[in-house]
Amino acid sequence: MEETPKQHYSEKEKNEVFHGEFLPHISSMYNFGYRLTLDRDDAKDLVQDTYLKAYRFIASFQKGTNAKAWLFRILKNSFINDYRKKTKEPSKVDYQEVETYYNSEEFDRQITPDLRVESLKDMIGDEISNALNSLDVDFRTVIILCDLEGFKYEEMAKILDIPIGTVRSRLHRARNLLKEKLTHYAKSMGYKNV
Amino acid sequence: MTPSSNPFILADGRKPNCMEMLQLILDGEASAKQQDYFKSHMDTCMPCFKSFHLDMSIKELVKTRCCGDQAPQSLVDQIKMQISQNNPS
Repeated sequence: MEETPKQHYSEKEKNEVFHGEFLPHISSMYNFGYRLTLDRDDAKDLVQDTYLKAYRFIASFQKGTNAKAWLFRILKNSFINDYRKKTKEPSKVDYQEVETYYNSEEFDRQITPDLRVESLKDMIGDEISNALNSLDVDFRTVIILCDLEGFKYEEMAKILDIPIGTVRSRLHRARNLLKEKLTHYAKSMGYKNV
Repeated sequence: MTPSSNPFILADGRKPNCMEMLQLILDGEASAKQQDYFKSHMDTCMPCFKSFHLDMSIKELVKTRCCGDQAPQSLVDQIKMQISQNNPS
């Protein structure tokens, strides 16, 4: 995305791009911000910051390309570079260590929950949302981008600055973890054979 | 079906496992050939059949339960105001 040659927009064109291509994604952006920070005020700050940056660097955006992916990438970078530093929230775990562990065969053998569709249907409250929120932010992010926002693997790779192979493996691990959480909820709801 | 007719086989010749195939189907990343192959594969692979329906349900539930709210109007207004203040026309 950075390789895009600088665009030359007039003030009028800038406003057209901003209002026509950027602002329509604001609810998705707000939801992404909320799912990353888990705080509505922080989400607002993050989204506002992202939109101001997007306007400031609008010359790097090529009209007609994927504005949503571009905005998501800025928001994700702001979250990592500004928000996490500001809140002094260190990455809870050594990510490399996590990836190595989750990629191990032992992990795959452990996570084979036989969760049933029927028990999912009874989860009418916040179980799904809470299960998603409880995942480590890197795993949460890939599920949001793929399942909520419908980004393709290639777009996710660009948003997250990781290879497509890593997108796929991280998504796979994330879904296993989510299933594990949902199995736990199903058991607590009284399903013996989940 | 012979291995060579498996459209999931990767460029390096490796055959992806069931979970890898399932993920491509689930995320709409599979080609038409891969989708056809997976449909007949599910007829003979019970774990894939079960996982497909479960994973699809979870994916749909995540989408419907976590997509959440509209951005607050105050946020939209605030952003518009900041942009117009920075760029008086």
